[in-house]
Amino acid sequence: MSAATVSTTLPHRAVANIKSPGGGLSGPSTPLRGVASNFGSPSSLRAEEDLLLIEFGTRKLHIGFAGDAVPRGCVWFGPDQQRRVGDFRVWQMDYRDEWAKRESDSEWGKSHELWQPDVRDLDLGLVEDKIERAMREAITKYMLIDSRPRRMVCVLPSGLPLPILSATLDTLFSRFMSPTISLLSIPVAVAVGAGVRSALVIDLGWSETVVTSVYEYREVRTDRSIRAGRMLTEQTHKLLASRLGQSPQRPSTESECTKHVLSFEECSEIASRVVWCKASQHPASAKPEDGLATVEEQDESDVRTHPQGCDHAKTPIPLRSAATPETLELSYDQLAEPCENTFFDSQCSPRSFDDHELPLHLLVYRSLLELPLDVRAVCMSRIIFTGGCAKVLGLRKRIFDDVSQLIREKGWDPVQTKPSDKLGAASRLKKRGSRQGNSGPTGVPPDGAGEEEQDGVWHDAANTVPEADPVEEQLKRGRDRKEQPPVCGKMRAVESLGAWSGASLITQLKAPAIATIDRDVWQQQGAAGAGRVGDVDTKSQRQSVGPAIRGATSGSSWTLGVWGVV
Amino acid sequence: MAPLTPYTYIQCPCSDASTLGRQADSNSPRSPDDDELDDRAFDPRAPRSNYSLYPLDYLNYCEDCQQIRCPRCVAEEIVTYFCPNCLFEVPSSNLKSEGNRCTRSCFQCPICIGPLSVTSIESPPDPSLLAAPDGAPAPHSGPYILTCSYCNWSSTEIGIKFDKSNSIHAQLVKLNNGGTTRLTAKEHRERRKEASQDRLAGPPSALAAAASNGGENNEELDLETQFANLKSFYQSQLADAAPGGSGLSSLNDLGFSSPTSLSRIMSLYTGGTVHNSRNKSRTGTMREALISDEGLQIASLDESAAIQHLHSIDYSETITTEQSTNQPPHLGEVHPHGTSRFASSLRPIPYLLRTKRSKRCPVCRHIISKPEAKVATTRFRIKLVASAYIPTITIRPLNIPSSSTPGTLPPLQPSQFILTFQNPRFETINVTLATPAKTPGRFSSKVTVLCPQFEIDANTDVWDEALKDTSDKTKLRRRGAAGDDGTHQAEAGKIWERGRNWVSIVVEVVPASLRLDLLEATAKEDEDVLEIPMFVRVEWEVDVGGDDVGTAPSRDKEQTEERELAYWCVLGLGRVGQA
Repeated sequence: MSAATVSTTLPHRAVANIKSPGGGLSGPSTPLRGVASNFGSPSSLRAEEDLLLIEFGTRKLHIGFAGDAVPRGCVWFGPDQQRRVGDFRVWQMDYRDEWAKRESDSEWGKSHELWQPDVRDLDLGLVEDKIERAMREAITKYMLIDSRPRRMVCVLPSGLPLPILSATLDTLFSRFMSPTISLLSIPVAVAVGAGVRSALVIDLGWSETVVTSVYEYREVRTDRSIRAGRMLTEQTHKLLASRLGQSPQRPSTESECTKHVLSFEECSEIASRVVWCKASQHPASAKPEDGLATVEEQDESDVRTHPQGCDHAKTPIPLRSAATPETLELSYDQLAEPCENTFFDSQCSPRSFDDHELPLHLLVYRSLLELPLDVRAVCMSRIIFTGGCAKVLGLRKRIFDDVSQLIREKGWDPVQTKPSDKLGAASRLKKRGSRQGNSGPTGVPPDGAGEEEQDGVWHDAANTVPEADPVEEQLKRGRDRKEQPPVCGKMRAVESLGAWSGASLITQLKAPAIATIDRDVWQQQGAAGAGRVGDVDTKSQRQSVGPAIRGATSGSSWTLGVWGVV
Repeated sequence: MAPLTPYTYIQCPCSDASTLGRQADSNSPRSPDDDELDDRAFDPRAPRSNYSLYPLDYLNYCEDCQQIRCPRCVAEEIVTYFCPNCLFEVPSSNLKSEGNRCTRSCFQCPICIGPLSVTSIESPPDPSLLAAPDGAPAPHSGPYILTCSYCNWSSTEIGIKFDKSNSIHAQLVKLNNGGTTRLTAKEHRERRKEASQDRLAGPPSALAAAASNGGENNEELDLETQFANLKSFYQSQLADAAPGGSGLSSLNDLGFSSPTSLSRIMSLYTGGTVHNSRNKSRTGTMREALISDEGLQIASLDESAAIQHLHSIDYSETITTEQSTNQPPHLGEVHPHGTSRFASSLRPIPYLLRTKRSKRCPVCRHIISKPEAKVATTRFRIKLVASAYIPTITIRPLNIPSSSTPGTLPPLQPSQFILTFQNPRFETINVTLATPAKTPGRFSSKVTVLCPQFEIDANTDVWDEALKDTSDKTKLRRRGAAGDDGTHQAEAGKIWERGRNWVSIVVEVVPASLRLDLLEATAKEDEDVLEIPMFVRVEWEVDVGGDDVGTAPSRDKEQTEERELAYWCVLGLGRVGQA
């Protein structure tokens, strides 16, 4: 059963076609020109009526109509969703207390995830089923739409493994009969949702924290660390379990991850309710010394140091999933521990971390460090925090402050060993000293003679009339056009509407997605048919997410964009 | 542990991978299992099978395709949208504009999801409200609040009171928690328009000053306003972008190393000195948002106030995961990270609308189920349920050796069960059963179906049943008596019992010992339940002339056609006890 035959025979499709002229039936020749004039017009409302925008995360999906400010619904993946239809034991009295029977220790919390990034032992069919059921729930409960085929836009993490992407697309194409699916990556969507073209997107997600530098809407670098939500929940469990035992001599290493004494739901809930992050030891108010000194730190300067007194306040936390229900008295100092251990782990030396488990401030710093100079300058003043763990109170500021501190301490010197620290400082001093010494009395640089020869003219700084510099002109013109030079080189955090809303903006502006896949092509070729980004003639591939040009891509090559090729 | 009542689940044939979409090609990165799916016996324990198994009551049946249709393989159409609380029928046009929630006065309690009611508070006059010049209040009016009669939550806890008792939704939209009014995006825009008209005198300086101030201009925007600002900013930028030619200048090039984007980057690096004048204009046009009017929000990372608040309150004053998932997205929120972890930030939940849906067969487009359009009626105009077409299977124990724990099956001892197949059709059906000799899974039990092939008589008229009633009863009683004293033994190849439109057969199982695998600390959930996958094949003959059930019987009865239906089902017999 192909989409074409179905869509032509369905009586209600005819209605849909009437409603959106230029929709299904218009050929590939629909001209794109003149779209610019349409941007301001509200009459474009109808065209995006049917566009579903779905953001997939590890633990939940957001769904809504493109063009809305916020998604209409959010569906969490959970074990209760994975039951058979008609299995009502969730409602039984003691259901919550029997969690230990449902989840073996190795799978603690796994059933709350849609996928694991490690696809080696991942049942992709199960992922498909989970997606389908969650989508059906979302469509029935929140979207209130019928099962007519709809075009979809998927917002996905850019590091999503290709098998998972393939499974996702398979589900959406075969189960929901979507004629085309466009793909957008989360970091770009987040950047658009913040109104910037370049950004350092710190996605404090569930299974990993991903730091992506987006430059001019392109992802230029990605760093990741497993210090993220899952680890935070595990650390919370560790804290609670150790308090439950009440034995201070509890050996921590061998038994901590094998036996779970509390249910995942409870730990996750406590982590999201009361776990917080302590403020940085080095508030950003200290004067920056390096090249950043030109710009003064903005409103971070009046950091209110946290009153340490109330940290010792205790809060009772009822635990229901323990062997016997119990109420723990925990001080807020202790409740900051999981966060500390998860994201910073400051008691270990920076060298003891593997590449996949860098503490977040180091991760962000390294990510910035590896960037080219101008990209770094632009990105560091557009830091965007997103993801579920950005909700941990104080965490964003802590990361921000710690990174600022790292920059102050180390500058942008990629060599970070101890001797080089000294050496670097010494050489910097020396350089500075020598420069001062040289330029001071004579005013002639030591290699000035060489320059004279190069120039051929004795350069006389006072008399050089600035020739008509096109750069300056352009800049001046820019200033005339009320444009400011972009903020560069200082640490600044920017708020984003989030990936879903960003994608909604992109879609509404009818900007083409990173990749748009036609159902027929996908069903014929699968992920194997995708070409490399460079190989694809983007002009023919590119199609507006707005009015559909069906069949335009059939026959031509297509791509999955950043998600790669087989 | 509660004893398990025997159950039957049916796997809809639609979940067979081969019928679904794209064929798995060798290159594509799929699990290799998919290719072998057809050859394997169905494993009810596989995590995927949870998604394809349905109780019989959940299944529909398409008469024209002669196929079972499960909720996954029907096409749905909306008949009515309505609010489950006030039963108001919402026109579908409102749905797009006003969202998926009831926009009247129906709210759920954010704490306990109970329904909220509007009550007036006849409190001593509140000075702040009296100050508000909203006319003379009627004697029985005064501010209104939403209260929950279950948990006594009221909207005063979040500082919200209403002036009118009706259209609460509209009033709530304009109120922030704490009672402050909120400007909608539209009002923001109007306000901004006024402001920009004010400073029309010196437009460049105003904007420039605003931008250079940076932080100070950082007006806190709520989500809706920021979205609207960003949208209008992008639209103006794109409209400026190119007077002619391709208008989608920059967003166009997302993720592509296309020639245009290359040249754009080149011009960025060279400061716009690329010779092409068109390029110059393009680089200058699309910029990023600089001020909050354009949607830029400098993040205020200082959350110490919230942290202090967290430290000062009780654990119970933070909201649970469930409560936060129930919260509708609040457009008046400042930013998506949200401080929405305190009970004080909860808002009443407008009821989600519901729908009545009609179902169609996705293949032949015939309607399978169609409810009455009226909200209040629960009747269906058309409803083709599967239990009217495929045999119902009921299970009851026949001969179970006593077990150490009551209500469980003793391991390693044969237990016998009676499966009763009831034929709902008006034709005689032939049933063929097949089970794997050993159930799949870690604990594989031996299964023997004593009579895997039999015929069930047609479901005749009810009157026949009534007339036959007496004789049937006597027969049954005799059989039962014979079973009791053990003379009636289950025999291989023989039917256990037969009635008007039903047949009982005996299945013998030897449950595996759960002890085999004590190495693995505990059995997984439900792993001790003895489930038998069973492939059921039903054959029957229909008159070709009278295809539709219910029409007059056709004249020439000779012209019959063989029909068959085959599907997997799962019989849950009971828990296996510890030996």
